[in-house]
Amino acid sequence: MSVLGHVFEGAGISTVSVALVREHAEKVKPPRSLFVPFPYGHTLGKPNDAELQHSVIAAALDLLSRPSGPVLADFDGEGGPGLIQASAVQPSAASIQRTGNGTGNGTNPADELTSMRELYERWVADHDGRTMVGLSGIPQRRFRGTVRFLEEFAENGGADMKERPEDVSVPQYLRYCVDDIKAFYYEARMAQRSKATEEEIHTWFWGETAMAKLILDVAKRMNETDDSELKSFAYGLAR
Amino acid sequence: MPRLDALSEVERKTITFFPCMEFDGTPWVPLDKPLSESKVALISTAGLHVRGDKPFISDFKGGDPSFRVIPSNSKPGDILQSHVSIGFDHTGFYKDINIAFPIDRLRELVERRVIGSVSENYYSFMGAIRDPRRVIDNTGPEVAQLLKDEGVDLAFLVPI
Repeated sequence: MSVLGHVFEGAGISTVSVALVREHAEKVKPPRSLFVPFPYGHTLGKPNDAELQHSVIAAALDLLSRPSGPVLADFDGEGGPGLIQASAVQPSAASIQRTGNGTGNGTNPADELTSMRELYERWVADHDGRTMVGLSGIPQRRFRGTVRFLEEFAENGGADMKERPEDVSVPQYLRYCVDDIKAFYYEARMAQRSKATEEEIHTWFWGETAMAKLILDVAKRMNETDDSELKSFAYGLAR
Repeated sequence: MPRLDALSEVERKTITFFPCMEFDGTPWVPLDKPLSESKVALISTAGLHVRGDKPFISDFKGGDPSFRVIPSNSKPGDILQSHVSIGFDHTGFYKDINIAFPIDRLRELVERRVIGSVSENYYSFMGAIRDPRRVIDNTGPEVAQLLKDEGVDLAFLVPI
């Protein structure tokens, strides 16, 4: 990030940057940089805390008054946790039985997804259309087809969708599909439990849903191949 | 992030071993007018794009050096993220895009007359680029020129 400070300022534009890793900013030396003690993904502090976000921005803009640089200042605030790792939570095999085609006794991912739809749509309606679902280009009302794609891949190690653009590889498209479904579940859960913390949502998703089990099965299947592209995508899939 | 000495060894190593360019000199351009009269552009490395635009490529060797234009008047539901890093938690961003792309906060700063205006276009790059040479040599200067063409006084750079 902070290399852009060099590029833009070198081209004659003043810059202010926020730094999440102080040690990196010390090396890169962007013109004006405010180190914040927040975890990755939480650059301006906390979600839905406009006051805190404004105070970080104000502290960054304050650096414009410095007469010379490079300037690396520290934001005076509480940091909270280090890395928040969704992958620290793993579903317990005993609690979840993913069943094919809804014929077994457990919940199948497609029906589970359908049961979350009302909550997801409430989230979107309550947030002025804001949603992180959309990378795959498939409308959420057709996600049962996406689930079939994932199930087929988990089963056979090969599957495709007609919606996949030509210049997007199958592993990349799997990733977009999984990211869409995760965003769908997370936003549905946030509509249901507005006070839930990040850790609580991860614990619920990875610990209690049939969809998480399916995603782990897809990742496992990707890992079993010799295809290095599939393997590298598998690493990021189940987090 | 907390200071490295406060992290676990694994966390510390992940960060320490990330390749990071070292610079000796630093360019310096003072803001030549009051902030309240300046035009501000938001620059993100959260891998954002507008719905319908191309997502960033996850497995681009060394990191996808391209950029996407995000009009500053984009509606909340228009912006998507294809930053696929597992190195950060996406939940905060799901909850509130402003946590790393303060599009609403900048509008409020215009209303409060803290900043003069926002640029017509914001820009997003991918984050966690291991080899930033193409950004430094090509796409970074391209965006710098676009910012200058629009008369931007200040670029506010926000990672995720």
